[in-house]
Amino acid sequence: MLIRFSIVEVFLIGALSAAPTVTAAEQPVDFQKQIAPIFEQHCVRCHSPGNNKGELSLATFDNLQENEYVIAGKADESYLLEVVTANDGDPPAMPKEGDPLSDDDVELLRRWISEGADWPSDVIVRERSRADSSWWSLQPLADVEPPVSESIPAAWNINPIDWFVYAKLAEQGLQPNPPADRRSLIRRATYDLLGLPPSPEEVDAFVSDPDPQAYEQLIERLLDSPHYGERWGRHWLDVVRFGESNGFEKNTVINTLWPFRDYVIQSINDDKPFDRFIREHLAGDVFGGDDPNVAVGTAFLVAGPYDDVGNQDAEQIAQIRANTLDEMINSTGQAFLGMTLGCARCHDHKFDPITQRDYYAMYATFAGVRHGNTPLATPQARSERTALLKPLNKRKAELEKAQDDLKEKILKRAHDRLDHYEAIWPRPPVDRTGTEETFEPVVAKFVRLVCEAQDINPQATVFRVDEFEIWSAESKPRNVALATNGGRATGEARKIEDFPGAYGPQHAIDGKTGARFISTTPYLTIELAEPTPINRVLFSSARGEQTPEHSKFVFVADYRIEVSDDGTSWREVAHGRDRRPVGNKPDRPRSKAEPPTHRDHRLLHLETTDEERRQQAQLSRELNTVKREITRVPELPDVWIGTRNRDDAQGPFHVFLGGSPQKKGELVVPASLSPLNNVAPKYQLPGDVDESARRNKLANWITDPNNPLTPRVLANRVWHYHFGTGIVDTPNDFGYMGGRPTHPELLDFLARQLQQNGWRLKAMHRLIMTSQTYRQSSKFRDGAAAVDGDSRLLWRYPPRRLSAEEIRDTILSIAGKLDQTMGGPGFRLYHFMQDNVCTYVPLDKHGPETYRRAVYHQNARASVVDLMTEFDQPDCAFSTPHRAQTTSPLQALTMLNHSFTLDMARDLAERLQREAGKNRRRQIARAYELCYSRKPTADEISACRQLIREHNLVALCRVLLNTSELIYVQ
Amino acid sequence: MNLREFSFGNPTRERGNSDFHPTIAIEDCNTLLTSNNADERLENDMSKTALDLSLLSRRNFLGNMYTGLAGVGLMHLLHNRAQADQSDWQPGRGMSHFPPKAKRVLQIFCPGAASHMDLWEYKPALEKYHGKPLPGEENFVSFQGKNGNLMKSPWAFAPAGECGKHMSTLMPHMSRHADDIAFLHAMHSKTNTHGPGCVFMNTGHPTEGFPSAGAWLSYALGSENDNLPTYVAIPDIRGEPPNGKANWANGFLPARHQAMMMSDQQPIRNLSRPPVISQAEETASRKLLDQLNRNFAEANPANTDLQARIAAYTLAARMQLSAPEVSNLSSESRATHEFYGTHDENDLKAAYARNCLLARRLLERGVRCVNLYCASRASGVDGLLNWDAHKTLKPDYERHCPIFDQPTAALLSDLKQSGLLDDTLVLWTTEFGRMPTHQSGTAGRDHNPDGFTCWMMGAGVKGGVSYGATDEFGRRAEVHPTTVWDFYATVLHLLGFDHEQLTWYHNGLDRRLTDVHGHVVEEILA
Repeated sequence: MLIRFSIVEVFLIGALSAAPTVTAAEQPVDFQKQIAPIFEQHCVRCHSPGNNKGELSLATFDNLQENEYVIAGKADESYLLEVVTANDGDPPAMPKEGDPLSDDDVELLRRWISEGADWPSDVIVRERSRADSSWWSLQPLADVEPPVSESIPAAWNINPIDWFVYAKLAEQGLQPNPPADRRSLIRRATYDLLGLPPSPEEVDAFVSDPDPQAYEQLIERLLDSPHYGERWGRHWLDVVRFGESNGFEKNTVINTLWPFRDYVIQSINDDKPFDRFIREHLAGDVFGGDDPNVAVGTAFLVAGPYDDVGNQDAEQIAQIRANTLDEMINSTGQAFLGMTLGCARCHDHKFDPITQRDYYAMYATFAGVRHGNTPLATPQARSERTALLKPLNKRKAELEKAQDDLKEKILKRAHDRLDHYEAIWPRPPVDRTGTEETFEPVVAKFVRLVCEAQDINPQATVFRVDEFEIWSAESKPRNVALATNGGRATGEARKIEDFPGAYGPQHAIDGKTGARFISTTPYLTIELAEPTPINRVLFSSARGEQTPEHSKFVFVADYRIEVSDDGTSWREVAHGRDRRPVGNKPDRPRSKAEPPTHRDHRLLHLETTDEERRQQAQLSRELNTVKREITRVPELPDVWIGTRNRDDAQGPFHVFLGGSPQKKGELVVPASLSPLNNVAPKYQLPGDVDESARRNKLANWITDPNNPLTPRVLANRVWHYHFGTGIVDTPNDFGYMGGRPTHPELLDFLARQLQQNGWRLKAMHRLIMTSQTYRQSSKFRDGAAAVDGDSRLLWRYPPRRLSAEEIRDTILSIAGKLDQTMGGPGFRLYHFMQDNVCTYVPLDKHGPETYRRAVYHQNARASVVDLMTEFDQPDCAFSTPHRAQTTSPLQALTMLNHSFTLDMARDLAERLQREAGKNRRRQIARAYELCYSRKPTADEISACRQLIREHNLVALCRVLLNTSELIYVQ
Repeated sequence: MNLREFSFGNPTRERGNSDFHPTIAIEDCNTLLTSNNADERLENDMSKTALDLSLLSRRNFLGNMYTGLAGVGLMHLLHNRAQADQSDWQPGRGMSHFPPKAKRVLQIFCPGAASHMDLWEYKPALEKYHGKPLPGEENFVSFQGKNGNLMKSPWAFAPAGECGKHMSTLMPHMSRHADDIAFLHAMHSKTNTHGPGCVFMNTGHPTEGFPSAGAWLSYALGSENDNLPTYVAIPDIRGEPPNGKANWANGFLPARHQAMMMSDQQPIRNLSRPPVISQAEETASRKLLDQLNRNFAEANPANTDLQARIAAYTLAARMQLSAPEVSNLSSESRATHEFYGTHDENDLKAAYARNCLLARRLLERGVRCVNLYCASRASGVDGLLNWDAHKTLKPDYERHCPIFDQPTAALLSDLKQSGLLDDTLVLWTTEFGRMPTHQSGTAGRDHNPDGFTCWMMGAGVKGGVSYGATDEFGRRAEVHPTTVWDFYATVLHLLGFDHEQLTWYHNGLDRRLTDVHGHVVEEILA
């Protein structure tokens, strides 16, 4: 059994241990009550299994005893006492940090040791977290009565939200603002729900609508718009750290994750109950039957960054795996529970009552999940595909067998005549450190090496060369291939887009070894400065290398050397076909997947009869036909929901002491999180239960009606997005280090409402947006600001800057260029390059294919994208609970100078001419309506007209797109 | 702990990033607060109102814009935090916790894991035991697989400078700086993989998403020069380092703290006015824009963002003038160009040399932090384009070192001669080391996270010293093992910061460049 000290207990104990001990002198020292608190308060922070400073733990008696820090009955010989006692005016050696032990405490320790140092084996001393299970966010949702305020204005006496907000304002002597005007309101509400500006027509209609329910109808219209899901889906994608590249060193782009983005948008548009939505994130593949639209939710598990660089070091492999699961655990805790579970990875959480056991219970829960694709399809689609493939695959196997049989027959015949063939291979095999050919002098302008078979895989014809020398047939021969002698090398090479020459043919004639030409075709051609008599070539891939056998130096096996006068008609002057084959070791069984040996490759070529060639050709034709038919059977769509692996999920699972997979601590099983044991139904699963059951159980526990965190966290997020700041201003952290709720009762009221409304967000939006709190103006008042500068109590609606996505969408929208196509693969504002690792280079030109809403951008990690990055689009390495909102000169540079602004300015100008004709005044008025939902003042018209007059309408549009008013919502 | 009151004008609070609070800088997550009752501590603070708009000068803005009305907040009630002792310190205003030795930082990064025992740390035992198994670790498996026997360095080491430090003869130019360098020979890393390793070396965390040291510096100090970025990353012509832009990212800090990328080969993005726009049109457009933005700001006086935005456009215009000037290397003398090697026949060397010269020009104009990469490409064929000499150490380093040696040494000499080195801290870093053995079947070395060398030089750093050592073969940090966190604790110390007090709240923790670790390496301080 494990003992944990609750706050209450410890306070009592603290009082006890600090009390004079005189009266207790007759009683033996009680370890648990008197000694353990001393260790807990002064020692275990550093000396615990997870920290283990000085290789010492005071969690249990073992270390103290082994090291003879404590010798039972002999206090004076116990080192422990020495280090905590002041000595000759020097402070005690321990504790290193914090106050020394009191004399009373030291005396207690002395007595405890003298009395035999009894430490019951079931008592483990642990450091106590700052908050315990009495922490506010861990309490059940309160059944709150909205407060009654005497002086509340009538309009504020309708929506319960206003009762809560007004009461808090009144406490501080604050009054709310009057309602916002209709122009501000429609702009605010439209951005809030759709992330787009209202059209001038929508503004006019709303402003002049005599219906007293006009505002409520507006909210309904907006909630019905498919753009709503795009806007609020984007919020959720931030929370679940959705990014479409795997990050880390390779940072490979992921092209199969967009179905999750579409699923999020669709679910939100459908107003899917959010508890179900959350369950689908964790276990949709488990309870959703085979419905791809449910299973896709589990892409949440693997939407984060992970390290996929191969590693052979076993300890590192374990560490990387632990990091990957840590990412899943953290993201789950933050997104749904507002808990920082990751802090309990190396030691018990220092602030919140989350133990390492809790953390590793989650580890066991997710252990079966790995990153990757899984084909998602209905059972029907699967069986259809299987039915179609079955006969084709059978036919394919038959044909392949026939091919192999034929090949074997030929080879067998050839092996019987091996002597004959070996006689025609008298010369030594090619040598990677230098292969030479001499021939009768010939005048050549061009010389080329043609690879007929590669030395590792003779069926391939690509190769590497570090140097290729061509020697003149002169009394003093020169290497005329050298670049310094006028040679010029050509040949298709492996390319790195942003560093083109890296593996180019120039390496073959630079007179230096070490760097190689890496061919992608069979040819390396060298053009000489002038036609020259030559009679010798020398070439290599591993000259001077100590380990030429390494595959890095892959070389030719069969080749020919050809010369030409004009670079088009070629004449062979030498070849390597009479060399012995490379690597001609005694036959070993080779799998069919492996290429044949070089010798067999040659033998097959030489031994096959014309008739057999015809048979082979026929088989190839048929095989190709079957393969074509196979590719015509539609693939099941791969989706990045990860893979599920029974082996990985095999326990037993342990706490990793100090977070190290090499240091296994106590056993753990999949279980609920202990901080909520008192309020939500806890569970423990057997360690060997199927991994799918573990996730399903967790999903149910997170969304259990008695789990107070999930609805609180979600209600707070909704509030956060409506008002810019949550009731708790740390939406991912409801723990000790996070913020406290400004309106705790309101938060619980909203959380209850959420549950009562079937976890549907649209009902929440209605409730919030119809409140006077939401509808009040954003007007600034000095007096109120003096009390509450951030308007956390909501004496005004807090204005906000648009997000990066909103800014781009707005510009496209007012320029009349927004492509409203929903869903499908994303577009890219970067150029993607891959050379083992990936590089993302921002585009200078954004074409019409990028004119979709920014939520459809394929956001890659560790990339920089013009406009989006500068306006604080997060990198999605972590869950982003809210966007930063910063201002920088870089924003100005991009908005002024990137071609996107210029294109949009031009499009907006065209639109103005189209919609407002040639009259400048009308053009300006139209522009103002489009950009700001208002009419220009006379001064504004005259200033704008001046710019058009002196320059042109496009110039004005460029200015308007750069204005602050465009990107701030009041 | 001495708890002080909040300063309500504390500009560390950023609107829209409410995850950040004026905060106690938690010493580490072990630190205990003395009270659980925030209200008790803070009840007297309610009356304070301290928004002073005049603080929003141009300079403050660049370093540390308030974005929103930071002034009076009720939020302090809502956090269990106390203010750190350095309560009068404010980020982004050129202030430090205590008087600094260094005002700016040049960090030269050689990605791919530059080999300590072939460049900086002389290991005579490798010569003696060349070809013998590594005792206790015969045939051990590391990143790429099996290792062979011990392999001596292909290059001789020779004593350099008055201190007589043994340095590789492969870098004759660098050896003339031996007396100014403090080597940290017992560095070790948490990871054996380049990407996480580079990110760890730059951010103190092996996973992405954390701010780089330069971003922390930008946050802590703000700008010294209003016309240029605070933090510049100069990638190598061969490509971006492993994990790319995560190496100079702002992480969870606001976007403005990320490095601006530029090099001699690659100007700052979107810097130039598009050619289709005439100067006259630009001037008139900016005038109108300024007017419209001013009107809007005046109509919304409480929103300081709007004034910051006006300032941002002014600063952008200044940057448009300053950045081309700083990149214009032709104003340097011919002798300088020759000294750096900017016209070397080796294109790669010339390109790096030009970036070295650019780095000096940025530093002398007050850029706080310059990250200069050499042979940085993330991958490709091992060792060809970065320091990752898995299979062919000798030709690889005989290609890289001549590129690195002369220009780097020239840059250091130049900094020294001009006096800039007096208050500039130079760091040389790589993500981890290499094995003392050869990789099985090759003449190269595999990754070694257990021991490697970094060094420092310049402001506040003792020269001609070596701190710590790996074992006799170079396999593991043995004497005074030094972490990346120790490294940055020391760097921050030289810059006048207590690394435990420079924090930013993010998703549940007050995050630090040094995570929850780090000790200042006093032994190398001058």
